[in-house]
Amino acid sequence: MKEKLKVLMLGWEFPPVINGGLGVACFGLSKAMTGLVDLSLIIPKTAAGFVVENLELIGLNQLTIEQFKNQGASTTNTNTYDVFKEVTFVEADFAPYKNYASKTDVTCESTEVISSKNPEVTQDDILSFESVGDIYGTDIWDKIQRYAKVVSKIAQNKDFDVIHAHDWMTFVAGLQVKHESGKPLVLHIHSLETDRAGIGSRGGVYQLEKYAMELADLVIPVSNYTASVIKHHYGIDTDKITSVHNGVEALTPYKTKKPFPEKLILFLGRLTGQKGPGYFLETAQKVIASEPNVRFVMVGTGDKLKSLIEAGAFKQIGNKFHFTGFLSPEKVHELLSMADVYCMPSVSEPFGISALEATQYGVPCVISNQSGVSEVLPSALSADFFDVNQMAKHIVSLLNDGKLKKKVVLNGYEDLKNVSWENAAQKVVSLYRDKLFL
Amino acid sequence: MASVCFYFQVHQPYRLKEYSFFHIGRDYVYENHDLNLQVLNKVADKCYVKANALLLQLINKHKGEFKVSFSISGLALEQFEQFRPDVLASFQALAKTGCVEFLGETYYHSLAALYSAEEFQRQVDLHKEKIKALFGVEPTVFRNTELIYNNNLARYIQKQGYVGLLCEGTERLIAANPSNKVYHAETNKSIPVLARNYTLSDDISFRFSDQNWKEWPLSAAKFSNWLQEIAVEKDDVLNLFMDYETFGEHQWEETGIFEFLNDLPEQVLTNTSLGFKTPSEVFKSYQANYPITAPETISWADAERDMSAWQGNAMQHECLEKIYEMEESVKATGNEALIHCWSKLQASDHFYYMSTKHSSDGAVHSYFSPYNTPHDAYLYYMNIIADFEIRVNKSLKVKSEM
Repeated sequence: MKEKLKVLMLGWEFPPVINGGLGVACFGLSKAMTGLVDLSLIIPKTAAGFVVENLELIGLNQLTIEQFKNQGASTTNTNTYDVFKEVTFVEADFAPYKNYASKTDVTCESTEVISSKNPEVTQDDILSFESVGDIYGTDIWDKIQRYAKVVSKIAQNKDFDVIHAHDWMTFVAGLQVKHESGKPLVLHIHSLETDRAGIGSRGGVYQLEKYAMELADLVIPVSNYTASVIKHHYGIDTDKITSVHNGVEALTPYKTKKPFPEKLILFLGRLTGQKGPGYFLETAQKVIASEPNVRFVMVGTGDKLKSLIEAGAFKQIGNKFHFTGFLSPEKVHELLSMADVYCMPSVSEPFGISALEATQYGVPCVISNQSGVSEVLPSALSADFFDVNQMAKHIVSLLNDGKLKKKVVLNGYEDLKNVSWENAAQKVVSLYRDKLFL
Repeated sequence: MASVCFYFQVHQPYRLKEYSFFHIGRDYVYENHDLNLQVLNKVADKCYVKANALLLQLINKHKGEFKVSFSISGLALEQFEQFRPDVLASFQALAKTGCVEFLGETYYHSLAALYSAEEFQRQVDLHKEKIKALFGVEPTVFRNTELIYNNNLARYIQKQGYVGLLCEGTERLIAANPSNKVYHAETNKSIPVLARNYTLSDDISFRFSDQNWKEWPLSAAKFSNWLQEIAVEKDDVLNLFMDYETFGEHQWEETGIFEFLNDLPEQVLTNTSLGFKTPSEVFKSYQANYPITAPETISWADAERDMSAWQGNAMQHECLEKIYEMEESVKATGNEALIHCWSKLQASDHFYYMSTKHSSDGAVHSYFSPYNTPHDAYLYYMNIIADFEIRVNKSLKVKSEM
């Protein structure tokens, strides 16, 4: 039996600060890994009192400048940022995750990702995390640089065998630590700029993702679908790409009686092009035309919300197609407990944990072929995201054909048996051993 | 003698609550009662009570020389009866002076005239009954919701036996005619029409407190001079039509709006050759010699003065079409509560809140709207429609099983 590996994990979203699937996945994976490795996880923001057993959780918002003052020598390394000299960053309008709550548009220019001038951790850096609200926001580039600086200082006093970084916000830090420590860097890909902003994206975030994947020792996408995106749109050496499917947290599904007689079809997700909400609306129109006894509900918010509302009005289906805006997890579960069909028509979905949650609730899923989750959920009915006719046919079949619905639900339960965070964690650790020879 | 004709609109809608998807099938109370009561009390205290007291005083002081007219929606009257009987009593006191005329309109302040002749008729009749019951008079002059007017409406009103009606004085309506006359519908000489002088009306209702306006501050003396200058012929009528809430609510008391109103009758009666008349008196006194035509619907709202305040986008269109599509099934239930509920959902205000216009008109829409965005207003309304459809269907089912 080999000695336990020491893993320095770099994350961005983590409970209770969750914007999307990233936080859920990091939590699930790191919790499952605690049994297999010695794990430290550094994130921008933790909530005091939130602990995971056997996990060293470091939130930059909980640090004080005093913790950095006694570190001395290592901060004088003037070559620290040389690795970035080769990178040219292109100015671009950029908004990976808009902050919808504040109703302000987020755009910023990515002129300079890394400044080599001031590698010292300053009071300012510490304060910026202490009071951090939105972990994305307009100053996201500033945040990821400060994060890299602080993480690099923490890493200098730490013993670890491998760096494991989740998504592009942590990649600058990952590269920095790799450069300073010489330890292998694993990049875990939950979502890419080409998913979020379309396959034509070639802006600052794309450049960072590509550059980091080129330098990384191992790239772990959450699905074969994303592995192929990395190959085709980022041109990364396929030898170092191995996908590990996400798991899903066990939950206690329940059923609620709907307060209305119609069948309910559910969509969950950010209302951005990536999630295909417009295709859902078109699908709904087709279903409503043949099945008046239905109701569609679209949960989430995003830059497409207003235009979707107006499109729904134009199609005259507003009394059957409802928007809830952003909902708490409790409300989402309430909807899952009463839904008849879950539909996820994502244009490009690296994974899509929500389909597994729906399956846990015994809700049959109709998902796009462009979703990673379809690889672990063969029971789901699927179609290309743009094929609204086929999507509508699937939904109508599930509504009217009780036998089919039962089959999809029962097969879904079978599919779930192979999906767990324990499996994912096992696979990640064996990749450390087999690919990185640790 | 040339005349000044005042008409004040009094209306308060039942604003809807933030009715989410999760309310559907669970909550049949659609209105935000607390908010409605709060607004009613605020406007009653700041405007209705004070302005009514002042008008009563002015009418008494000028011994029949000062006259005004009101159009009060059924929804406003209902709320006065229930929550502010003092306001209702003060209107009744005004009615007793004989110097105040009450106009006919739709009970629910709706756009029914454009969607359903049958429903429009029902609401006009309901309003007529309400006015008669509360004020002891039957309206003889008609004023449609938001001064919405077109040729077909003119024809309808004549059939109803009204002596005339009110509309907005848009340029395209009166361009071929001299201003400030009594007009008649092109199709029929026997339907006289009074057109709002929107410049003079808006001087009071919009610009009165605008310190960037070159005429600010506006005194009653200055304003009555303008009236005299404009009314050069004997058959000129200057129609000052505005929201009654102008006094004390849109224009706060601190702006001096009540002093202005207090001084105006005396200024007009002593320093000009003009007198005050109510709309029906105008129709009795002057011949309608000038034809106007409105092949397209006009109104007094926004810069366009057309239907775009309520029919300007897909959301408004859908809501309007959905609510009127339900007419037959709602009426088939025979359930008075459901019919009343459906009728209240027809109030034009709901659609006004969904307007996505920008700049100064947009600012006016959002001033009145209780919601964050027009899209919210639409979503809440549509969720309510969804719930209401369920109730109607249930009621029809129960009825068919009986």
